[in-house]
Amino acid sequence: MRNLIAFFQRFRVFLVFLALQLLALGSYFSFVSYPRTQFFNTSNTVAAKLLTTQRDITKHFFLDQENRVLQEEISRLKNQLDHALSSKDSSEIITDSLKGFSYTFFPATVINASYSRKNNYFTINVGASDGIQPKMGVITAHGVVGVVYDVSTHFAVVKSILTENFNLSAYISSNKAFGIIKYLDLNPKQVSLTGISNDIELNIGDTIFTMGSGGYFPSGIPIGKIVEYTVIEGKPLWDISVELFQDMRKLHYVQVIKHIKELELTELENQIEEYHP
Amino acid sequence: MPNSLKHIVRFILFVLVQGLVVGQIEFGMGIHPLIYPLFILLLPFDMRPIIIMLIAFACGLSIDFMMNTFGLHASAAVFVAYFRPQLYRLFSPRDGYDVMKEPTLQEWGYTWFLSVTSTTVFLHHLWFFALEIFKTSEWWNILKSTFLSAIISLVLMLITQILFFKKEKL
Repeated sequence: MRNLIAFFQRFRVFLVFLALQLLALGSYFSFVSYPRTQFFNTSNTVAAKLLTTQRDITKHFFLDQENRVLQEEISRLKNQLDHALSSKDSSEIITDSLKGFSYTFFPATVINASYSRKNNYFTINVGASDGIQPKMGVITAHGVVGVVYDVSTHFAVVKSILTENFNLSAYISSNKAFGIIKYLDLNPKQVSLTGISNDIELNIGDTIFTMGSGGYFPSGIPIGKIVEYTVIEGKPLWDISVELFQDMRKLHYVQVIKHIKELELTELENQIEEYHP
Repeated sequence: MPNSLKHIVRFILFVLVQGLVVGQIEFGMGIHPLIYPLFILLLPFDMRPIIIMLIAFACGLSIDFMMNTFGLHASAAVFVAYFRPQLYRLFSPRDGYDVMKEPTLQEWGYTWFLSVTSTTVFLHHLWFFALEIFKTSEWWNILKSTFLSAIISLVLMLITQILFFKKEKL
Protein backbone atom coordinates (compact mmCIF):
# COMPACT_ATOMS: atom_id res chain seq x y z
CA MET A 1 0.00 0.00 0.00
CA ARG A 2 2.77 2.38 0.95
CA ASN A 3 4.54 1.47 -2.27
CA LEU A 4 1.42 2.30 -4.22
CA ILE A 5 1.10 5.72 -2.59
CA ALA A 6 4.80 6.34 -3.17
CA PHE A 7 4.32 5.36 -6.82
CA PHE A 8 1.43 7.79 -7.24
CA GLN A 9 3.41 10.57 -5.61
CA ARG A 10 6.43 9.94 -7.78
CA PHE A 11 4.50 9.87 -11.02
CA ARG A 12 1.66 12.23 -10.20
CA VAL A 13 2.57 14.78 -12.87
CA PHE A 14 2.69 12.09 -15.51
CA LEU A 15 -0.57 10.55 -14.25
CA VAL A 16 -2.37 13.91 -14.43
CA PHE A 17 -0.94 14.34 -17.93
CA LEU A 18 -2.24 10.91 -18.91
CA ALA A 19 -5.70 11.57 -17.42
CA LEU A 20 -6.08 14.90 -19.21
CA GLN A 21 -4.90 13.40 -22.51
CA LEU A 22 -7.38 10.54 -22.19
CA LEU A 23 -10.18 13.01 -21.52
CA ALA A 24 -9.30 15.28 -24.45
CA LEU A 25 -8.44 12.62 -27.03
CA GLY A 26 -11.30 10.38 -25.95
CA SER A 27 -13.73 13.14 -26.68
CA TYR A 28 -11.98 14.07 -29.93
CA PHE A 29 -11.93 10.61 -31.45
CA SER A 30 -15.39 9.60 -30.30
CA PHE A 31 -16.93 12.82 -31.67
CA VAL A 32 -15.16 12.54 -34.99
CA SER A 33 -16.18 8.94 -35.56
CA TYR A 34 -19.89 8.99 -34.72
CA PRO A 35 -22.45 11.68 -34.01
CA ARG A 36 -24.03 12.10 -30.62
CA THR A 37 -25.14 15.00 -28.48
CA GLN A 38 -22.10 17.09 -27.91
CA PHE A 39 -20.69 19.71 -25.69
CA PHE A 40 -17.30 20.81 -27.02
CA ASN A 41 -18.50 22.69 -30.07
CA THR A 42 -19.77 25.96 -31.42
CA SER A 43 -23.47 25.21 -30.92
CA ASN A 44 -22.59 26.00 -27.31
CA THR A 45 -24.17 29.38 -26.57
CA VAL A 46 -21.21 31.47 -25.37
CA ALA A 47 -18.99 30.49 -28.30
CA ALA A 48 -21.86 30.95 -30.75
CA LYS A 49 -22.67 34.44 -29.42
CA LEU A 50 -19.02 35.46 -29.78
CA LEU A 51 -18.82 34.11 -33.31
CA THR A 52 -22.07 35.88 -34.24
CA THR A 53 -20.57 39.17 -33.08
CA GLN A 54 -17.42 38.49 -35.04
CA ARG A 55 -19.48 37.72 -38.15
CA ASP A 56 -21.55 40.88 -37.71
CA ILE A 57 -18.34 42.84 -38.06
CA THR A 58 -16.93 40.96 -41.05
CA LYS A 59 -20.14 40.31 -43.02
CA HIS A 60 -19.97 43.53 -45.05
CA PHE A 61 -16.89 42.39 -46.93
CA PHE A 62 -18.69 39.85 -49.10
CA LEU A 63 -22.15 41.44 -49.56
CA ASP A 64 -21.49 42.33 -53.20
CA GLN A 65 -20.66 38.81 -54.21
CA GLU A 66 -23.63 37.37 -52.29
CA ASN A 67 -25.94 39.84 -54.03
CA ARG A 68 -24.85 38.49 -57.39
CA VAL A 69 -25.53 34.90 -56.29
CA LEU A 70 -28.99 35.90 -55.08
CA GLN A 71 -29.78 37.67 -58.34
CA GLU A 72 -28.76 34.61 -60.34
CA GLU A 73 -30.95 32.48 -58.08
CA ILE A 74 -33.93 34.82 -58.50
CA SER A 75 -33.69 34.85 -62.28
CA ARG A 76 -33.36 31.07 -62.38
CA LEU A 77 -36.43 30.62 -60.18
CA LYS A 78 -38.38 33.21 -62.19
CA ASN A 79 -37.69 31.26 -65.35
CA GLN A 80 -38.90 28.09 -63.68
CA LEU A 81 -42.03 29.85 -62.46
CA ASP A 82 -42.83 31.19 -65.93
CA HIS A 83 -42.35 27.74 -67.33
CA ALA A 84 -44.60 26.17 -64.68
CA LEU A 85 -47.36 28.75 -65.17
CA SER A 86 -47.31 28.50 -68.93
CA SER A 87 -47.40 24.71 -68.94
CA LYS A 88 -50.39 24.64 -66.62
CA ASP A 89 -53.03 25.06 -69.31
CA SER A 90 -51.29 22.80 -71.82
CA SER A 91 -52.04 19.13 -72.10
CA GLU A 92 -49.16 18.15 -69.82
CA ILE A 93 -50.28 15.82 -67.06
CA ILE A 94 -48.82 16.35 -63.63
CA THR A 95 -48.57 12.88 -62.19
CA ASP A 96 -47.19 13.55 -58.74
CA SER A 97 -48.71 16.66 -57.26
CA LEU A 98 -47.50 15.86 -53.73
CA LYS A 99 -43.88 15.51 -54.72
CA GLY A 100 -43.23 19.19 -54.35
CA PHE A 101 -44.37 19.16 -50.76
CA SER A 102 -41.84 16.62 -49.54
CA TYR A 103 -39.19 19.14 -48.63
CA THR A 104 -39.13 22.68 -47.26
CA PHE A 105 -36.11 24.96 -47.27
CA PHE A 106 -35.06 27.07 -44.33
CA PRO A 107 -32.58 29.93 -44.81
CA ALA A 108 -29.55 30.24 -42.51
CA THR A 109 -26.35 32.22 -42.19
CA VAL A 110 -22.94 30.66 -41.65
CA ILE A 111 -21.24 32.21 -38.62
CA ASN A 112 -18.08 30.10 -38.45
CA ALA A 113 -16.53 27.82 -41.04
CA SER A 114 -13.38 25.91 -41.83
CA TYR A 115 -12.32 24.22 -45.06
CA SER A 116 -8.64 23.41 -44.71
CA ARG A 117 -8.82 20.82 -41.97
CA LYS A 118 -9.16 17.10 -42.50
CA ASN A 119 -12.68 17.09 -41.06
CA ASN A 120 -14.48 20.39 -41.55
CA TYR A 121 -17.51 21.71 -39.76
CA PHE A 122 -19.41 24.98 -39.89
CA THR A 123 -21.86 26.69 -37.58
CA ILE A 124 -25.18 28.20 -38.70
CA ASN A 125 -27.44 30.62 -36.86
CA VAL A 126 -30.56 28.43 -36.72
CA GLY A 127 -31.25 25.74 -34.15
CA ALA A 128 -33.81 23.57 -32.43
CA SER A 129 -36.14 26.54 -31.88
CA ASP A 130 -36.43 26.86 -35.68
CA GLY A 131 -37.19 23.16 -36.01
CA ILE A 132 -33.70 22.17 -37.11
CA GLN A 133 -32.70 18.60 -36.25
CA PRO A 134 -29.56 16.53 -36.76
CA LYS A 135 -29.20 14.83 -40.17
CA MET A 136 -31.01 17.51 -42.16
CA GLY A 137 -29.31 18.34 -45.46
CA VAL A 138 -27.73 21.75 -46.06
CA ILE A 139 -27.37 23.26 -49.55
CA THR A 140 -26.64 26.58 -51.27
CA ALA A 141 -27.83 27.94 -54.60
CA HIS A 142 -24.94 26.06 -56.24
CA GLY A 143 -25.14 22.65 -54.60
CA VAL A 144 -24.75 20.38 -51.59
CA VAL A 145 -22.58 21.62 -48.71
CA GLY A 146 -23.27 19.44 -45.66
CA VAL A 147 -25.54 17.69 -43.17
CA VAL A 148 -26.62 19.04 -39.75
CA TYR A 149 -24.56 17.27 -37.06
CA ASP A 150 -25.55 18.76 -33.72
CA VAL A 151 -28.10 21.40 -32.64
CA SER A 152 -28.57 23.68 -29.65
CA THR A 153 -31.51 26.03 -29.09
CA HIS A 154 -30.43 28.76 -31.51
CA PHE A 155 -27.45 27.32 -33.39
CA ALA A 156 -26.43 24.20 -35.25
CA VAL A 157 -23.13 22.62 -36.24
CA VAL A 158 -23.07 21.27 -39.78
CA LYS A 159 -20.76 18.50 -40.95
CA SER A 160 -19.35 19.82 -44.19
CA ILE A 161 -19.08 17.75 -47.40
CA LEU A 162 -15.35 18.10 -46.69
CA THR A 163 -15.31 15.44 -43.96
CA GLU A 164 -13.72 12.05 -44.34
CA ASN A 165 -16.78 9.93 -43.58
CA PHE A 166 -19.42 12.13 -45.23
CA ASN A 167 -20.50 9.20 -47.48
CA LEU A 168 -23.18 10.85 -49.59
CA SER A 169 -24.77 8.66 -52.26
CA ALA A 170 -24.70 10.33 -55.66
CA TYR A 171 -25.23 9.52 -59.35
CA ILE A 172 -23.67 10.62 -62.63
CA SER A 173 -26.01 12.55 -64.93
CA SER A 174 -25.05 10.89 -68.23
CA ASN A 175 -25.40 7.22 -67.30
CA LYS A 176 -27.19 7.18 -63.92
CA ALA A 177 -24.43 5.07 -62.37
CA PHE A 178 -24.27 5.68 -58.64
CA GLY A 179 -21.53 5.72 -56.01
CA ILE A 180 -20.49 7.33 -52.75
CA ILE A 181 -19.02 10.83 -52.34
CA LYS A 182 -16.01 10.90 -49.99
CA TYR A 183 -13.45 13.56 -49.06
CA LEU A 184 -10.08 11.89 -49.41
CA ASP A 185 -7.45 14.47 -50.40
CA LEU A 186 -7.00 17.67 -48.46
CA ASN A 187 -8.19 19.82 -51.37
CA PRO A 188 -11.25 21.93 -50.48
CA LYS A 189 -12.26 22.27 -54.15
CA GLN A 190 -12.58 18.56 -54.85
CA VAL A 191 -14.19 15.42 -53.47
CA SER A 192 -13.97 11.83 -54.71
CA LEU A 193 -16.73 9.67 -56.14
CA THR A 194 -16.05 6.05 -55.21
CA GLY A 195 -17.63 2.72 -56.04
CA ILE A 196 -18.15 3.27 -59.78
CA SER A 197 -17.18 0.17 -61.78
CA ASN A 198 -14.58 0.92 -64.47
CA ASP A 199 -16.57 -0.68 -67.30
CA ILE A 200 -18.89 2.34 -67.14
CA GLU A 201 -17.99 5.07 -69.61
CA LEU A 202 -17.38 8.51 -68.16
CA ASN A 203 -16.88 11.96 -69.64
CA ILE A 204 -15.01 14.90 -68.18
CA GLY A 205 -17.61 17.49 -67.22
CA ASP A 206 -20.43 15.06 -66.35
CA THR A 207 -22.54 16.46 -63.53
CA ILE A 208 -22.96 14.56 -60.25
CA PHE A 209 -26.35 14.75 -58.47
CA THR A 210 -27.59 13.50 -55.10
CA MET A 211 -29.43 10.16 -55.10
CA GLY A 212 -31.85 11.22 -52.39
CA SER A 213 -31.41 8.01 -50.41
CA GLY A 214 -31.39 8.40 -46.65
CA GLY A 215 -33.82 11.30 -46.96
CA TYR A 216 -31.29 14.03 -46.13
CA PHE A 217 -31.45 15.53 -49.61
CA PRO A 218 -34.06 15.48 -52.37
CA SER A 219 -32.99 13.51 -55.41
CA GLY A 220 -31.21 15.53 -58.09
CA ILE A 221 -29.48 18.30 -56.12
CA PRO A 222 -26.27 19.13 -57.99
CA ILE A 223 -22.96 18.41 -56.24
CA GLY A 224 -20.19 18.96 -58.78
CA LYS A 225 -18.69 17.88 -62.07
CA ILE A 226 -16.11 15.25 -63.03
CA VAL A 227 -12.68 16.79 -63.64
CA GLU A 228 -10.49 13.70 -63.66
CA TYR A 229 -10.79 9.91 -63.58
CA THR A 230 -8.22 7.15 -63.39
CA VAL A 231 -8.37 3.40 -62.76
CA ILE A 232 -7.57 2.35 -59.19
CA GLU A 233 -4.57 0.00 -59.33
CA GLY A 234 -5.69 -3.59 -58.80
CA LYS A 235 -9.41 -2.87 -58.49
CA PRO A 236 -12.16 -2.79 -61.12
CA LEU A 237 -13.16 0.71 -60.03
CA TRP A 238 -12.70 4.28 -61.21
CA ASP A 239 -11.04 6.88 -59.01
CA ILE A 240 -13.11 9.94 -59.90
CA SER A 241 -12.30 13.52 -58.83
CA VAL A 242 -15.36 15.76 -58.60
CA GLU A 243 -15.04 19.54 -58.51
CA LEU A 244 -17.68 21.00 -56.20
CA PHE A 245 -20.08 23.59 -57.64
CA GLN A 246 -20.13 25.45 -54.33
CA ASP A 247 -16.75 26.94 -53.47
CA MET A 248 -16.49 25.81 -49.83
CA ARG A 249 -14.03 28.63 -49.15
CA LYS A 250 -16.76 31.20 -49.76
CA LEU A 251 -19.64 29.88 -47.74
CA HIS A 252 -21.92 32.55 -46.28
CA TYR A 253 -25.63 31.84 -46.82
CA VAL A 254 -27.12 28.35 -46.88
CA GLN A 255 -30.49 26.59 -46.82
CA VAL A 256 -31.42 23.75 -44.49
CA ILE A 257 -33.68 21.08 -45.97
CA LYS A 258 -36.50 19.79 -43.82
CA HIS A 259 -37.93 16.51 -45.03
CA ILE A 260 -41.63 16.53 -44.25
CA LYS A 261 -42.20 12.86 -44.94
CA GLU A 262 -39.12 11.65 -43.13
CA LEU A 263 -41.10 9.81 -40.48
CA GLU A 264 -43.05 7.97 -43.16
CA LEU A 265 -39.84 7.05 -44.98
CA THR A 266 -38.03 5.74 -41.91
CA GLU A 267 -41.10 3.74 -40.83
CA LEU A 268 -41.29 2.17 -44.26
CA GLU A 269 -37.61 1.32 -44.26
CA ASN A 270 -37.83 -0.14 -40.77
CA GLN A 271 -40.75 -2.31 -41.90
CA ILE A 272 -38.63 -3.76 -44.69
CA GLU A 273 -35.93 -4.61 -42.18
CA GLU A 274 -38.50 -6.33 -39.97
CA TYR A 275 -39.78 -8.49 -42.82
CA HIS A 276 -36.33 -9.31 -44.19
CA PRO A 277 -33.92 -9.25 -41.28
CA MET B 1 -2.07 44.74 -11.48
CA PRO B 2 -2.05 41.62 -9.28
CA ASN B 3 -0.34 38.64 -10.86
CA SER B 4 -3.30 36.24 -11.02
CA LEU B 5 -5.57 38.85 -12.60
CA LYS B 6 -2.93 39.51 -15.25
CA HIS B 7 -2.89 35.84 -16.22
CA ILE B 8 -6.68 35.63 -16.28
CA VAL B 9 -6.85 38.61 -18.64
CA ARG B 10 -4.16 37.02 -20.84
CA PHE B 11 -6.08 33.73 -20.89
CA ILE B 12 -9.24 35.45 -22.13
CA LEU B 13 -7.39 37.55 -24.69
CA PHE B 14 -5.41 34.63 -26.13
CA VAL B 15 -8.55 32.47 -26.42
CA LEU B 16 -10.53 35.26 -28.10
CA VAL B 17 -7.75 36.21 -30.52
CA GLN B 18 -7.14 32.57 -31.43
CA GLY B 19 -10.84 31.75 -31.85
CA LEU B 20 -12.12 34.92 -33.48
CA VAL B 21 -9.16 36.31 -35.43
CA VAL B 22 -6.24 33.94 -36.09
CA GLY B 23 -8.40 30.81 -36.37
CA GLN B 24 -10.79 32.49 -38.81
CA ILE B 25 -8.16 33.50 -41.36
CA GLU B 26 -7.72 30.77 -43.94
CA PHE B 27 -4.19 30.77 -45.32
CA GLY B 28 -4.53 27.71 -47.56
CA MET B 29 -1.80 25.07 -48.08
CA GLY B 30 -2.76 23.45 -44.78
CA ILE B 31 -1.49 26.43 -42.79
CA HIS B 32 -3.30 26.88 -39.50
CA PRO B 33 -1.33 29.08 -37.09
CA LEU B 34 -1.91 28.59 -33.35
CA ILE B 35 -0.73 31.28 -30.96
CA TYR B 36 -2.05 30.09 -27.60
CA PRO B 37 1.11 28.04 -26.74
CA LEU B 38 2.64 31.43 -25.97
CA PHE B 39 0.10 31.86 -23.16
CA ILE B 40 1.23 28.57 -21.61
CA LEU B 41 4.89 29.62 -21.94
CA LEU B 42 4.15 32.95 -20.23
CA LEU B 43 2.82 31.40 -17.01
CA PRO B 44 5.21 32.02 -14.06
CA PHE B 45 8.40 29.97 -13.76
CA ASP B 46 7.58 28.74 -10.26
CA MET B 47 4.05 27.52 -11.01
CA ARG B 48 3.54 23.83 -10.23
CA PRO B 49 3.46 21.53 -13.30
CA ILE B 50 0.03 20.06 -12.47
CA ILE B 51 -1.50 23.53 -12.18
CA ILE B 52 0.06 24.51 -15.52
CA MET B 53 -1.43 21.42 -17.17
CA LEU B 54 -4.88 22.15 -15.73
CA ILE B 55 -4.76 25.77 -16.95
CA ALA B 56 -3.52 24.59 -20.36
CA PHE B 57 -6.37 22.08 -20.53
CA ALA B 58 -8.92 24.81 -19.79
CA CYS B 59 -7.33 27.07 -22.41
CA GLY B 60 -7.34 24.33 -25.08
CA LEU B 61 -10.92 23.39 -24.26
CA SER B 62 -12.10 27.01 -24.61
CA ILE B 63 -10.55 27.07 -28.07
CA ASP B 64 -12.17 23.72 -28.91
CA PHE B 65 -15.51 25.34 -28.12
CA MET B 66 -14.90 27.92 -30.84
CA MET B 67 -13.20 25.85 -33.52
CA ASN B 68 -15.24 22.60 -33.53
CA THR B 69 -12.23 20.45 -32.75
CA PHE B 70 -13.85 18.49 -29.88
CA GLY B 71 -10.79 18.27 -27.59
CA LEU B 72 -7.85 18.31 -30.02
CA HIS B 73 -6.58 21.72 -28.87
CA ALA B 74 -6.96 20.66 -25.22
CA SER B 75 -4.77 17.63 -25.89
CA ALA B 76 -2.08 19.66 -27.67
CA ALA B 77 -2.09 22.33 -24.95
CA VAL B 78 -1.66 19.76 -22.16
CA PHE B 79 1.13 18.16 -24.20
CA VAL B 80 3.22 21.35 -24.30
CA ALA B 81 2.37 22.14 -20.66
CA TYR B 82 3.76 18.74 -19.67
CA PHE B 83 7.05 19.35 -21.47
CA ARG B 84 7.38 23.02 -20.48
CA PRO B 85 9.55 22.43 -17.34
CA GLN B 86 11.96 20.16 -19.29
CA LEU B 87 12.20 22.71 -22.11
CA TYR B 88 12.90 25.56 -19.74
CA ARG B 89 15.58 23.46 -18.06
CA LEU B 90 17.13 22.61 -21.44
CA PHE B 91 17.51 26.25 -22.42
CA SER B 92 18.22 27.66 -18.96
CA PRO B 93 20.81 30.46 -18.77
CA ARG B 94 24.15 29.77 -17.08
CA ASP B 95 23.10 30.93 -13.61
CA GLY B 96 19.53 29.63 -13.74
CA TYR B 97 16.26 31.52 -13.87
CA ASP B 98 15.26 34.41 -11.65
CA VAL B 99 11.75 33.22 -10.75
CA MET B 100 10.63 36.74 -9.97
CA LYS B 101 10.96 37.72 -13.62
CA GLU B 102 8.45 36.76 -16.28
CA PRO B 103 9.43 34.35 -19.08
CA THR B 104 9.31 37.02 -21.79
CA LEU B 105 11.45 38.14 -24.71
CA GLN B 106 12.23 41.45 -23.02
CA GLU B 107 13.59 39.80 -19.86
CA TRP B 108 15.64 36.98 -21.38
CA GLY B 109 16.63 38.11 -24.86
CA TYR B 110 15.99 37.06 -28.46
CA THR B 111 18.17 33.92 -28.48
CA TRP B 112 16.50 32.44 -25.43
CA PHE B 113 12.99 33.38 -26.53
CA LEU B 114 13.36 32.11 -30.09
CA SER B 115 14.93 28.79 -29.09
CA VAL B 116 12.33 28.04 -26.40
CA THR B 117 9.35 29.22 -28.45
CA SER B 118 10.36 27.52 -31.69
CA THR B 119 10.91 24.16 -29.96
CA THR B 120 7.58 24.44 -28.13
CA VAL B 121 5.68 25.54 -31.22
CA PHE B 122 7.20 22.77 -33.32
CA LEU B 123 6.30 20.07 -30.74
CA HIS B 124 2.82 21.52 -30.28
CA HIS B 125 2.05 21.77 -33.99
CA LEU B 126 3.46 18.31 -34.72
CA TRP B 127 1.25 16.77 -32.01
CA PHE B 128 -1.77 18.74 -33.24
CA PHE B 129 -1.47 17.96 -36.96
CA ALA B 130 -0.39 14.34 -36.42
CA LEU B 131 -3.52 13.72 -34.35
CA GLU B 132 -5.74 15.67 -36.69
CA ILE B 133 -4.65 13.95 -39.89
CA PHE B 134 -3.85 10.66 -38.08
CA LYS B 135 -2.60 8.64 -41.03
CA THR B 136 0.94 7.42 -41.60
CA SER B 137 0.47 7.64 -45.37
CA GLU B 138 -0.19 11.39 -45.01
CA TRP B 139 3.13 12.08 -43.22
CA TRP B 140 4.12 14.60 -45.88
CA ASN B 141 0.96 16.66 -45.26
CA ILE B 142 1.56 16.48 -41.50
CA LEU B 143 5.12 17.76 -41.82
CA LYS B 144 4.16 20.45 -44.34
CA SER B 145 1.34 21.77 -42.15
CA THR B 146 3.56 21.64 -39.06
CA PHE B 147 6.47 23.56 -40.60
CA LEU B 148 4.49 26.20 -42.48
CA SER B 149 2.07 26.86 -39.60
CA ALA B 150 4.91 26.93 -37.08
CA ILE B 151 6.68 29.68 -39.04
CA ILE B 152 3.54 31.86 -39.15
CA SER B 153 2.76 31.14 -35.48
CA LEU B 154 6.30 32.12 -34.48
CA VAL B 155 6.10 35.40 -36.39
CA LEU B 156 2.73 36.17 -34.74
CA MET B 157 4.10 35.35 -31.29
CA LEU B 158 7.15 37.51 -31.86
CA ILE B 159 4.95 40.43 -32.92
CA THR B 160 2.77 39.89 -29.82
CA GLN B 161 5.81 39.97 -27.57
CA ILE B 162 7.35 43.05 -29.17
CA LEU B 163 4.11 45.05 -29.25
CA PHE B 164 2.38 44.16 -26.00
CA PHE B 165 5.06 43.29 -23.47
CA LYS B 166 7.33 45.76 -21.75
CA LYS B 167 10.30 45.17 -19.51
CA GLU B 168 9.11 45.29 -15.94
CA LYS B 169 10.58 48.08 -13.87
CA LEU B 170 12.21 46.90 -10.67
